Amino acid sequence: MTPTLLGRWQSRLLLFATVGVLLTLPFFLGMIGNKPGTIYFWILGYLAFFGHGWDVLYNYLQKFRWDYDWPGVFQLLAGIWEGIFVAILAIAIGLPGVPKGQFELPLFVLHYSLVWLGIYIASQSLMRILFVRSRFKGGQWL
Amino acid sequence: MVTPIQIRLRWDDPATGERREPVLGLPIALGREFSQMPGEIAGTRISRLVLNSDQVSRFHALIDMESGGLVVVDQGSRNGTFVNGTLQKRCALANGDTLQVGPYQINVSFAGSAAAPTQASNSPILFNPHTDLPDPTQPPQPPVIASGFPPQAFVDSQIVPVQDLHATGLPVDEIDYAAIGAGLGSFIWVDLLRIFGVKPGQIAALGMEKEPYARYRRLCLNSQIPLHERLRSNSDSCPDNIWGWPSYALREAWGDFFKGQIGASFKYLWQVFAEPTFAETYTPRAGNVFNSIDREATRIGWDGIFRYGRIRAIRKTDDGRYAIAYSRGDASRRDRAFLLTKYVQIATGYPAIQFLPDLQDYREKTGDFKSVVNAYEDHKHVYEYLEQKGGTVLIRGRGIVASRIVQRIYEARQRNPNISLLHLMRSPKPQGNKFGSAQRQVANHYEFQPFNWPKAGWGGEMRAILEQATPEQRKRLLADWGGSTTADRGDWKRIVQEGLNQGWYQIAFGEVERVEREQDGIITYIQEKGFKGQVKLEANFIIDATGLDAHVTANPLLNDLVNCYNLPLNHLGRMSVANDFELVEMRADRGRMYAAGAITLGGPYAPVDSFLGLQYAALRTVDSLAAARAIGISRLNVLTSLRQWLKWVANQSP
Repeated sequence: MTPTLLGRWQSRLLLFATVGVLLTLPFFLGMIGNKPGTIYFWILGYLAFFGHGWDVLYNYLQKFRWDYDWPGVFQLLAGIWEGIFVAILAIAIGLPGVPKGQFELPLFVLHYSLVWLGIYIASQSLMRILFVRSRFKGGQWL
Repeated sequence: MVTPIQIRLRWDDPATGERREPVLGLPIALGREFSQMPGEIAGTRISRLVLNSDQVSRFHALIDMESGGLVVVDQGSRNGTFVNGTLQKRCALANGDTLQVGPYQINVSFAGSAAAPTQASNSPILFNPHTDLPDPTQPPQPPVIASGFPPQAFVDSQIVPVQDLHATGLPVDEIDYAAIGAGLGSFIWVDLLRIFGVKPGQIAALGMEKEPYARYRRLCLNSQIPLHERLRSNSDSCPDNIWGWPSYALREAWGDFFKGQIGASFKYLWQVFAEPTFAETYTPRAGNVFNSIDREATRIGWDGIFRYGRIRAIRKTDDGRYAIAYSRGDASRRDRAFLLTKYVQIATGYPAIQFLPDLQDYREKTGDFKSVVNAYEDHKHVYEYLEQKGGTVLIRGRGIVASRIVQRIYEARQRNPNISLLHLMRSPKPQGNKFGSAQRQVANHYEFQPFNWPKAGWGGEMRAILEQATPEQRKRLLADWGGSTTADRGDWKRIVQEGLNQGWYQIAFGEVERVEREQDGIITYIQEKGFKGQVKLEANFIIDATGLDAHVTANPLLNDLVNCYNLPLNHLGRMSVANDFELVEMRADRGRMYAAGAITLGGPYAPVDSFLGLQYAALRTVDSLAAARAIGISRLNVLTSLRQWLKWVANQSP
C-alpha cells in the first residue's frame, strides 16, 4: 500500500487506539514488567500525538520517490526514530504524565517494540481484511 | 520573403505509445499552453504545438530558420531542451535529430526530403473472433451484422421492444447481471458480486473461453513468460483475493518454507518489506497466479456462470434493461440467442495487438509472417531456428516485453553462441521522466519502474490526483507517469551489460524508413542523419515488442455501441467512464452499464489493465450498484468483510 497523508493519520489513530491499547494493557496491569501504572498509556498517547506531525514529514519525503511509495523498511526506520525522539524527551525534559525519574528505558524499548510490531502486522493484515477499501485509498478507512 | 519550409515532427504519445506525425510550417513553437506561445514573429505566422506535460514549460522552445539552417532555441524552460540527448540552449538541427522536451522524444525530419510518410497510426493485429488467437489475416473491421443476426431492426434502433425479441422466435433468457468478455476483468467483477451476496444463478459471464485467464496466459506464453517465470505484478494484487491478504509473497514463502527452502522463503518476505529500495520488487510466478484463480473460480461457481458466446450487439430495451444479442454456435452449428439483463459490465480487454506500421507494410508486401513477428504472436519458431542455426535478431521497443525477449535470446545463446541481437530504439534516453521532485531511473537507455505505472497510481496519492483532475490535466498526468518502462531486475541488467561488453548485443538508434527482404535477410533502413549516408541494419528476424494498444473502435462490439448511442470517447480514444466506471450515457430506467480494463484508459484511473486495477474497478462498480440498491447485493462492511474473508480461507462458497 502507498499511503496518503489522510490515510497515514487515520490508520495511525485507529491502530494506536485498538492494537496499541491492547498491547499496552499487560504493561499497565503489571503483567509485563514490574511497574504497573498509567505511564505506558501516556507514552502511547505521545507516540500517537507526535506521530501525526511526523506523518506530514514522511508524506513530504515520499514525494521525492518516483513511486510515491513507503516500503516497510522505511516504516521501521521511522518507527525507530519516533521511539528515540520520545525517549529523549522523557529522559531529558520529562513529559506530563511521565515523571523524569520514573521512565525506564529497557521497559520502554520492550513496550514500544511490541506496539510497533503489533501495529505493523495489523496494518498489513487485519486492516486489509476488515476495511476492504482502505488499501485503495492510501490507508483511509473512514 | 522566405518561402515557408515544412518539417515533420514525429513522436510516440508517452502514455499510449501511439504515433503522432504532424507536418508543420516554420517557425514552430513548442509549449504546454497554446495562448502563452506567440502567434507570429516579424509578420510570420508561427505553428504552435501543444505538448501536454508538467515537464514542458508554457512556451518551451522555438524551431526556426537562421541563416539557411534549422535551429532550435530554448525559451528559458524549466527543464531544458535536449538535442540527441544533450542539453542545449540554442542548437542547429539536422535531419533525423531527436529533440527531447519533457517526456516527449520528438524526431525531426525535413518533410521535403523524407520518404513517403508511414501510416499515421500503428496498425493493429486483431483477435480472430472464432479462435480468439491473434490473427494477422483478420480484416480490420469485420461487420457487426453477419448473415442476418442480429436482425436489422435491432441494429437500427436505440431502444428495442422486448416483444420484438420474443417475436424473432430465438431463445430469450433473463438474468440480473451480465459480464461481457468473461476474461480476467469479468472474473474479478463476478468474484466481487459473489462476495457482495449475489447468487451464481443471477450472473452470466459471456465469452469465448471458460478459463478467465486463457487469453492472458496465451499472451504471456507468446511473449516468453512460461509458467515458472514471474509476471510484472505486485505481491498483493491477487485476482483471487480482494483483500490482498495473504499476498502471493506470503503464500510462496509459506509453501517454500515447508518444502525446506528456508532461504527462498525469507528472501520473498525481505523483498516485500524492502522493495524497491533495498531489494528487487517481488512479483508472483505466472503458474501460481493461474492456480489461485482456478481455486477461486471453483469457489464462486464460475462453471455455472460462464456461458460460451460471441456477443454481436447490445441495445437498451423498452423496459429499461439491456438486450444482448449473441451467438452460441461455432462454425458447424448455428445457435443464436438474446439475453435480457439489468446490469452489464463490459471488460473485453485489448481489442487488438499494436503492430509497427513499417513492419505491417513489410508483411503486406512480402506475405512473410515468419521472419517479422510481434512479440505477442506465437513466435517459438524464431528461437528454435536460432538455437539450431544461429543468426541475428532485431528487437523494436524498449518496454518490459523487450527485456523478456532479450532474456530469451540470452537463454538461446547458451545453446548456440552464434546469435547476436540488435536493439533498435528511436532515440537515446539520457534521463528518465520527471514528476514534481521525483525522477525515474535510467540505465543503458532502459527506463525503470516496478510496474507499468508509478505505485501510488493504484491506491496512493496519484490515484486521488488523477480522479480529481480535469480531462486536460489527466492527459498531462498520464504523459508524465507513462512511457515504455521495464522492471529493475538484476538478471536483466546483468544480461544487457554482459551482451554489450561481449559485443553480441548492440543498441542502435534511429527512425525506420522501410523494411525490405533482400538476399542477405531482412534489411531495416534507418533514416539518414544529416544526409551523411544510409544506415542499414541486417537481421534474420525482427520482433516488434512495442506493446498492446488500440482504440476501442477496433472492437466491432464497442464500435457499434459507440456509434449507436453516440458515446463520448476520452482523449485516448477509449470509453469515457465516470469515477465509478459507469458508462453514464448508457444508463437505463432500471439498468446500469459499467466498463473496466484497457478500454477505460485515459479516464479517472491509470492502471486499469492490471490485476489490482481491475479489482479497484470492480470494487467501485459493485459499491455503486449496492448504493443503487441493485438486486441481491449488499455493501460489504467490517463484519461481512471478515466473514467473507474467513469463507475464502476455508474455501467455502461465498
